[in-house]
Amino acid sequence: MLRNLKFALNSAWQSFWRNLAVSLAAVVSITLILILAGVNLLVGHALSQVLDGFKDKVSTMSINVADDTPLQTVYSFRDQLAADPRVASVQFVTKAEALQQFESDPNNAALAQQIDGNPLDAKLEVRVRSLSDVSAIDALARQWPGVDPINPTNYQGDFVNRMLQLSQWLGYAGVGLMAILVVVSVVIVMNTIRTAVYHRRKEIEVMKLVGATEWFVRGPFVIEGVMTGLIAAAIALSVLVISYPPVVSRFSADITFIPLSYDPTFISSLARDLLAGGALLGALGSYIGVRRFVRL
Amino acid sequence: MVLTPDFDTRPVISFQHVWKRYPTGTEALRDINLVVPEGDFVFLVGPSGAGKSTMVRLLIREEKPTKGKIFVEGMELGRMKRRKLPFYRRKIGLVFQDFKLLPNLTVYENVAFALRVHGEPDGLINSRVAEALDTVGLAAKELTYPANLSGGEQQRVAIARALVHAPRFIIADEPTGNLDPATAWEIMQLFLRINARGATVVMATHNREIVDLLRRRVVAIDAGQIARDDRSGRYHDDASKPQVRAQ
Repeated sequence: MLRNLKFALNSAWQSFWRNLAVSLAAVVSITLILILAGVNLLVGHALSQVLDGFKDKVSTMSINVADDTPLQTVYSFRDQLAADPRVASVQFVTKAEALQQFESDPNNAALAQQIDGNPLDAKLEVRVRSLSDVSAIDALARQWPGVDPINPTNYQGDFVNRMLQLSQWLGYAGVGLMAILVVVSVVIVMNTIRTAVYHRRKEIEVMKLVGATEWFVRGPFVIEGVMTGLIAAAIALSVLVISYPPVVSRFSADITFIPLSYDPTFISSLARDLLAGGALLGALGSYIGVRRFVRL
Repeated sequence: MVLTPDFDTRPVISFQHVWKRYPTGTEALRDINLVVPEGDFVFLVGPSGAGKSTMVRLLIREEKPTKGKIFVEGMELGRMKRRKLPFYRRKIGLVFQDFKLLPNLTVYENVAFALRVHGEPDGLINSRVAEALDTVGLAAKELTYPANLSGGEQQRVAIARALVHAPRFIIADEPTGNLDPATAWEIMQLFLRINARGATVVMATHNREIVDLLRRRVVAIDAGQIARDDRSGRYHDDASKPQVRAQ
């Protein structure tokens, strides 16, 4: 068993170098596919980061309190909200605190100087756990008698719904793109490796005639496929790792309203995915590519 | 009528009413009955397309018979499972007209290859390969690549590879087909020596001189049937002699 493995490793390594042109063709095609897959993963990750940021913002909602509402009513509604499982936290902001918040924002400096008295409402700031529950909490707040009837909440239903739809569609698109990439890459790798195998069909014939088992013939090809996949993954990974930070910084400089950021922790999961994907692609492509020639 | 020689030794090969029809409709073999006892040396002769190669392909189980049974050392080839096939092939030695050497392996590696696929340890491979190369007289060329050898030398490497695992049964398909007469004769001497050591040899050939000179058993195939089975025959039937002889 160990001897066979040694033989398979040796002949895979030799054949990789002996058929360098075909090996390189396979490496290049797997590398390109893995770069595409990696870009897909990175874009998906960046979008989900951005979306998480947006979600965080829109899942915090202010309920404006009418000026004449007794404090007791406000507290009891606050406690009711706090007890609601959909709500992460509730904070009561008094009129004075609201004004202070408003004035402390440098964007409002000019406006703050013109304010006479305190026109702002006291408010309950509610963080909702899930974005999809925000509209229910909004409906609840609008029914509460203490709410400011003119400007009840800052909930923008349309925006939240679109965000939810967008994130759902982006998820589907990512999965769909990945599926297409996997199919295309298996076909390409299979054909590349079939070309490699075709060049060596004589060797395979001889192997079969002298009594090699199917796995003995197939083993070196599958190992060669894994090797090819790993080399391709390493190249794809280097390309992505090198180009990721400058692309992100260029992007965030050009398109400021989308808060894209560089996430170094994602690199390790990207590396794991690409290496595993490359090895698997190479192995699968070889296995299928060699099958026709190996059958006894 | 065709007689099957009746020998005392046990049969290594036995064809029992074997028919072979290819998917194209060609009927390559029709009702072949043949027994080859242990230690025999059999020439399969006949014109191109007579069915010699089909018999060889059936014997190495590249093809299965359409009808009938083929036994080799007691195993029925038609019913052999695919996963058992490699182990069957390890029991036989194969030599082909086109040598079937691997061009990117040295002489030594080509011969060792047959043992590597069996998963033999390096020590055993070394001694067996040295012995086989010695038998065919190529010990000095073990590091040479096939492209740098003459046709006769390449065929000797192929024979060494067929011998290296000490098979009891050798199948050769036109082994002298690509060689000049002198070289062909050298190769035949090798086969005779292998046969003298006890291995059964079945050889499909067109080489009339050699068949006539050696006077071994000759099985003549014509249009998919055994036309003649002579114990010590010639390539062509002698019209003055009875069609079938068994000595």
